[in-house]
Amino acid sequence: MSTTVATPEPAKSKLWKPPIVGLVTFVLMFVAVGLGHTMMLLIEHNLGRETTLAVSPLLGFTGIIMLWYGVKSKNETFQTWIGFFGALIVWMCWIEFFYMWYGRMNFGMLPRMDGVDGLEVSGTYPEYMIMGSTVGTLLMMLCFYTFDKDTRCNMFLWFQDKLGLREALGPSTKTAKDRNYAIITFMETFFVLWFCYSWNLLTFDPALMGKGTLFVGVNLASVFVATVWAGFCLTRLIQYKRTATALRYAIPVGNVAWVNVEILEKLDLMSHAVFIDPWSYKLEATVIFGAFLTLIFLLVLAPKKPSEVGARRVSPVTE
Amino acid sequence: MDLSPALKLKHLVPALGLLLASAGATAEKLVMPAGMGGVPDIGAIPCEVYNNMMRVAPLGTRHSLITWSAGYLQAITGKPLQEVVNAADPTRPAWTYDRLGDGLTEFCAANPKLGTRDAVASVAKALGVAPAP
Repeated sequence: MSTTVATPEPAKSKLWKPPIVGLVTFVLMFVAVGLGHTMMLLIEHNLGRETTLAVSPLLGFTGIIMLWYGVKSKNETFQTWIGFFGALIVWMCWIEFFYMWYGRMNFGMLPRMDGVDGLEVSGTYPEYMIMGSTVGTLLMMLCFYTFDKDTRCNMFLWFQDKLGLREALGPSTKTAKDRNYAIITFMETFFVLWFCYSWNLLTFDPALMGKGTLFVGVNLASVFVATVWAGFCLTRLIQYKRTATALRYAIPVGNVAWVNVEILEKLDLMSHAVFIDPWSYKLEATVIFGAFLTLIFLLVLAPKKPSEVGARRVSPVTE
Repeated sequence: MDLSPALKLKHLVPALGLLLASAGATAEKLVMPAGMGGVPDIGAIPCEVYNNMMRVAPLGTRHSLITWSAGYLQAITGKPLQEVVNAADPTRPAWTYDRLGDGLTEFCAANPKLGTRDAVASVAKALGVAPAP
């Protein structure tokens, strides 16, 4: 018996093709980092700090519930969106707010001070001082992906190649349809955020870098690395045709590019005040948020390939 | 004391050397260890700075100034903080850790142009302890 499950061909679109798909997803993910800052401040502002910190462990569970729905879905695009937003919520509630509570309200830490007289409160708040100390845990966790034969992340595959691990690890036992993109995107977003935060926090740490030439040198080197890295990945991203794949690839590209924003702000060369002080820039913040929502809307409406919406092409089977 | 000229010269030369060396030494500005948060002397900062620190790290900042206050009160009264609050007017609400912190913080919030030392002096006055002239 020969069975073939026919799947409809994707709608042809003159707009949604390279490089538009990659560029849109890149802009979306780049802006998402900034708006993540804004979202945290808005939650804290509206609920009040004490309430926010008290309910954040519970709020974080909404991300897990979203993930639960996403994992059960067969739609790759839906899984990707859910994984991304679920991870943002969990990161915000279980990491940022929870560290904030530990640093500011429980451990009684003091803020790092900046400025010529050391009398300006630095942006490295207590929660970020704690986060900087988690770099060892992060590296340990990344070992799993470095030595996992089923990882598909290009960076870890590159490491595996360079470390001569491919033969020892053997072929991957998973195919594309074995992968659940909700949890993959969830973990990817989480680790990318963690990595980029740690990168910035280590290069900003005055105990490691001082405040003079070394600090400036290391941070300018970081700008160079982040620009080249994000730029290189962007050249690959703009070749993507599938929106779901492009979205997942754009998460690290947008975040690595954002590393520059934090460094240039630290060096007083630019400001992202529109994201961290939206009350002073209501119009600008509204425009950016509107553009962000529009991009999401356009991506949701963009024509999808059958594999992105759950229809799996099945090869002819002959018995 | 009458010293011979030779003895005078013998002592004068190293004394002069020490005097010149100490004149050349400049006072080091106090700075915190690089990775730490906070300021070297929280009793000597403007209330405005204290208020900014409070916004980011309320517990640690308050505690830091309470600790500074304890030293200030000990210097005035010769008593530890607990004994100073025990000796306060019993007809008024008890001086708890929170009340001490609130007193300092409220003073600074109301007087951002003054210094944290003024906040401590104000709390000392409320405790019935005369601040140093």
